[in-house]
Amino acid sequence: MMAVRIGVLSFAHMHASSYMASVNQHPDAVLAGIADDNAERGKKAAESFQTKYFDSYEALLASDIDAVIIASENIHHRALTLAAAKAGKHVLCEKPLATTVEDGRAMIQACKDAGVQLMTAFPCRFSPAMVRLREAVQCGTIGEILAMKGTNQGLMPGGWFVELEKSGGGAVIDHTVHVTDLMRWVTGKEPVGVYAEISNRMNHEVYDDCGLLTITFDGGIFGTLDTSWSRPKTYPTWGNVTLEITGTEGVIAMDMFAQNIVQYDDEGNKVKWLNWGDNIDYGLINSFVTSVAEGNPVAITGEDGLAAVEVALAAYKSNERHVPVKLPL
Amino acid sequence: MQKVAIVGSGHMGQCHAAAYAHIPQADLVALVDSRPNALIQAGETFGAGAFTDFDKMMAVVNPDVIDICTPTPWHKDYVLRAAAAGKHVIVEKPMARTVEESREMIKTAENAGVKLKVAHVVRFFPEFAAAKAQVDAGAVGTPAVVRTSRGGNFPGASGNWYGDPNQSGGVVLDLIIHDFDWLRWVFGDVERVYAKGNISREFGCIDYALVTLRMKSGVIAHVEGTWANPGAFQTKFEITGDKGMLDFQSLTSSPLTIATKNTEGAKGGVAIPESPSGRNPYCLELQHFIDCIENDSKPLITAEDGVKAVEIAMAAIESIRTEKPVVLSGGKGVK
Repeated sequence: MMAVRIGVLSFAHMHASSYMASVNQHPDAVLAGIADDNAERGKKAAESFQTKYFDSYEALLASDIDAVIIASENIHHRALTLAAAKAGKHVLCEKPLATTVEDGRAMIQACKDAGVQLMTAFPCRFSPAMVRLREAVQCGTIGEILAMKGTNQGLMPGGWFVELEKSGGGAVIDHTVHVTDLMRWVTGKEPVGVYAEISNRMNHEVYDDCGLLTITFDGGIFGTLDTSWSRPKTYPTWGNVTLEITGTEGVIAMDMFAQNIVQYDDEGNKVKWLNWGDNIDYGLINSFVTSVAEGNPVAITGEDGLAAVEVALAAYKSNERHVPVKLPL
Repeated sequence: MQKVAIVGSGHMGQCHAAAYAHIPQADLVALVDSRPNALIQAGETFGAGAFTDFDKMMAVVNPDVIDICTPTPWHKDYVLRAAAAGKHVIVEKPMARTVEESREMIKTAENAGVKLKVAHVVRFFPEFAAAKAQVDAGAVGTPAVVRTSRGGNFPGASGNWYGDPNQSGGVVLDLIIHDFDWLRWVFGDVERVYAKGNISREFGCIDYALVTLRMKSGVIAHVEGTWANPGAFQTKFEITGDKGMLDFQSLTSSPLTIATKNTEGAKGGVAIPESPSGRNPYCLELQHFIDCIENDSKPLITAEDGVKAVEIAMAAIESIRTEKPVVLSGGKGVK
């Protein structure tokens, strides 16, 4: 098998670091280069991950790469995806796929027209705990699903994440999409309605940092999701992804990043959870590389990414009007 | 000394009966229950007179305080009868099945000049009281998002009255009303309620609800109530604010775990966590109510607090039914 040559468009999102390390680690992939509109940041990343720095996105896209990973600010996902599609490169795009439905649709269409694949970066689907949860649900361990309770609570990430013109929103757009995708994946049902209470009481700034969503799925299953950037600075880790499913015959509770050793660090004056679980970002990269190499459909599509974005956008709308908002938008 | 009669000798009635034994100013004189078998056993256990008829009990022992631990639908009737006889009343939560019944109970007690105490015992649980004190002292700064969880298996009771939402109000009115009251106590009044639950769906002995509250202060709260979890009964709360977070989980906050070999000879054993404390919340609660009655002092929880909790629960039930948020308006009840 020819190695899949991958370029990285922007190092703005911190996940780029883990994705680039995973590409380097992958036996069938080559990290062919990185371009970044912030040259200093891009050059540093190229050096860290022993790859070539390209002066422009165009130059990287004109090279002999097969695929790109887009890790820019959310607002640039559309333009970079369209450019990659035009250059005939497959795309793995960081979440949230887009900041508007229109952008998401344009990205999906452009990739379809160009005959390239568009994958949304939802690494949580590659968590062994999540895979096991889904298997248990599908073989009927807890009977019929009644309800789901999820959290993706984190530290306030700062930087461009809180500049709304670059991120498209605060905690709700940042932290709705992962668990919404897991809820869709485990139930096989589409969200049909969203209600949300959103606030900015953590940081008292223009961006939202607290969100409680209630999502209704086709057929009546309901779920709630806490998207808040509510972990204090002293919290032992960055945050969590949890999903608890209540069924007619029992309950399955997952705390995705619970495989930890607890460190009491006098030097750093902090208690830390040192995770020893599997690297889910590697699982994501492996899935993308394999699909591209073998020409098979990607495991998580642009449509999957957009469906999760729609829930976040509906949540903002719901919070403005204090009413449940119907989906699709 | 207050002579106390308990109406209803089921789980809660027996729990209260056991607590009165530790309250010096209370003398448990009678238990009333229409089910003679349950009653006689309970009466013997607690050394109290056993009556199947309320009026006969009143005539024979003439108590000072009536403590009502019947299923919810009978609360109003017994409160009205106790008030008519000029007796002070303690009533289990939820104080009634509807807001209207709750208000009628308050009005009747006021007119009769008797005290009406609503037994929201969670305010007397040391962990919940400690959390309130911490929030008041600024431990989390300005509170932002609060999460609570409560539940376990479906509760068994006479005639499976918990299984009939018309009687019990399901998990929303019977169980997480505890959390609604505690949330109001700590974070103030509720503005808006949105809820999802299984109350209107037919799943037999299963009930589950997820409720979102927007408090007038701006705090948002998420309340889980379950009678669908075969694991151990548990409570949790997480209070986040701009200066920190308080986190409690009952199952990991237990200082004692007793593990025993399975007597059936199966391969697995059972491990049961326990959280022993010298402060029994039911004793603290009933001691407080008896003190308030004896000293004519203001209770930690008023009858009005009891109605407000019912109001939040009824709003959640309405939201589940209508699939819309329900706005609470000041003393006027649910819009």
